[in-house]
Amino acid sequence: MKIKTVDLVLAAVYAALMAIGANIAAFLPPVQGVPLTFQTLVAILAGATLGSRIGALSMIVYTLIGLAGVPVFAGFSGGPGTIMSQTFGFILSFILTAYAVGKIVERREHPNLSAFLLAGVVGLAANYITGTLYMYFSLKLWINAPMTYGAIWVAMIPFLVKDIILTFATVLIAPQIKGRLDAVRRKQPMPVGGNPSSRSNP
Amino acid sequence: MELIIGQYVPRSSVIHRLDPRAKLIGVFLYVIIVFLANNWPTYALLAVFTASGVALSNVPLRYIVRGLKPVLFLIVFTFVLNALFTHQGPALFKFGWLELTSAGFIQAVFISIRLLVLIVATTLLTLTTTPIDITDGLEQLLSPLKKLRFPVHEFALMMAIALRFIPTLVEETEKIMKAQTARGAEFSSGSLVKRAKAIVPLLVPLFVGAFKRAEELAMAMEARGYRGDVGRTKWRLLQWQTRDTVLLASIALLTAALVFLRG
Repeated sequence: MKIKTVDLVLAAVYAALMAIGANIAAFLPPVQGVPLTFQTLVAILAGATLGSRIGALSMIVYTLIGLAGVPVFAGFSGGPGTIMSQTFGFILSFILTAYAVGKIVERREHPNLSAFLLAGVVGLAANYITGTLYMYFSLKLWINAPMTYGAIWVAMIPFLVKDIILTFATVLIAPQIKGRLDAVRRKQPMPVGGNPSSRSNP
Repeated sequence: MELIIGQYVPRSSVIHRLDPRAKLIGVFLYVIIVFLANNWPTYALLAVFTASGVALSNVPLRYIVRGLKPVLFLIVFTFVLNALFTHQGPALFKFGWLELTSAGFIQAVFISIRLLVLIVATTLLTLTTTPIDITDGLEQLLSPLKKLRFPVHEFALMMAIALRFIPTLVEETEKIMKAQTARGAEFSSGSLVKRAKAIVPLLVPLFVGAFKRAEELAMAMEARGYRGDVGRTKWRLLQWQTRDTVLLASIALLTAALVFLRG
């Protein structure tokens, strides 16, 4: 697997943006008890602007730095113990979200707003389905909790409402951000002192 | 800001000085052998082993307790469930349909010790090892995967770059928020829809600024001849010492003791 230097750096930057998005609640007060986190938003943007492969990669990097003990997950948490938390499925699901969004946006060379909207909705679905399933099975398997799958969804409704609104906001800014990012990725020059055989002579 | 410091607690201790590879292998093995315990002597042995690790690390207890916070609910919940829903032997306590049996109580204590030991051991790893050391250790341990064309080096580098970028971007977020507030943006009041709109002038400059930094870094790396893993030399080198071998040997001994003592 060959990753271009600029893609490698961009994936890292997206992982850092994800850490900001998870903890932006530290700067913003919660709305009706729901803390504002922008993780779903950043994950959708990662897929929409970096594409499925690099987008998913950036989310894997985010998960890994969190597991390595940097408090990048929501509420400044982190460390390998996070795997045991019921909400770890949501963290894992961002990888899938970015990948799915990227796959849909990539189908067209010049995706229009409805393509971004479809991608956003699919990404959000991937996020919540994976997250709630993990929560259900972790409650079931580890502590044998008497909680039905439906009850988990009911508990998730306030968060879902917040994320639906944020997804629409994301869809609206995605084309703008993608345009800026594509310019950065195109502009990368031939590496100086790189492999001479890859250099073409006009 | 807490984010910059991370979970790492700088202290001078033998645990801090261990090679990150030894700690990673150690914790990985420990997490597996914890499941060998099934009676009082084995669980006591695990508790003593974990506690001596904590004592050797010189890390104040409150950091360990803070690490337990996210899973405290899980531990309490597990304890209560196991205590109340294991019905074996005579009841110690009865209230309506609730029944606490001695077997249930013991079962609950065992499961709680197991969870505690698992979490304290993994927390200790991240409290005594910097994220960059963990990244370096993981890169070296996983380097055989390069043969399967898994991009181990690239992952390690991306993690290092992300770690470097987080404080910068936190600062940038604060700056943009102040700038937009000065222009009349409202981040802390209004309905959800209104606030979703307010974040657009926050996110777009944040992302565009981040891309600019990424572009500059990529350019700088290529200008210095970065070509991936090929022919790269390292500034930070890991060195395996006797104490690292001692750690792994003590885990092997512990495993033998657990197998011998388990019922």
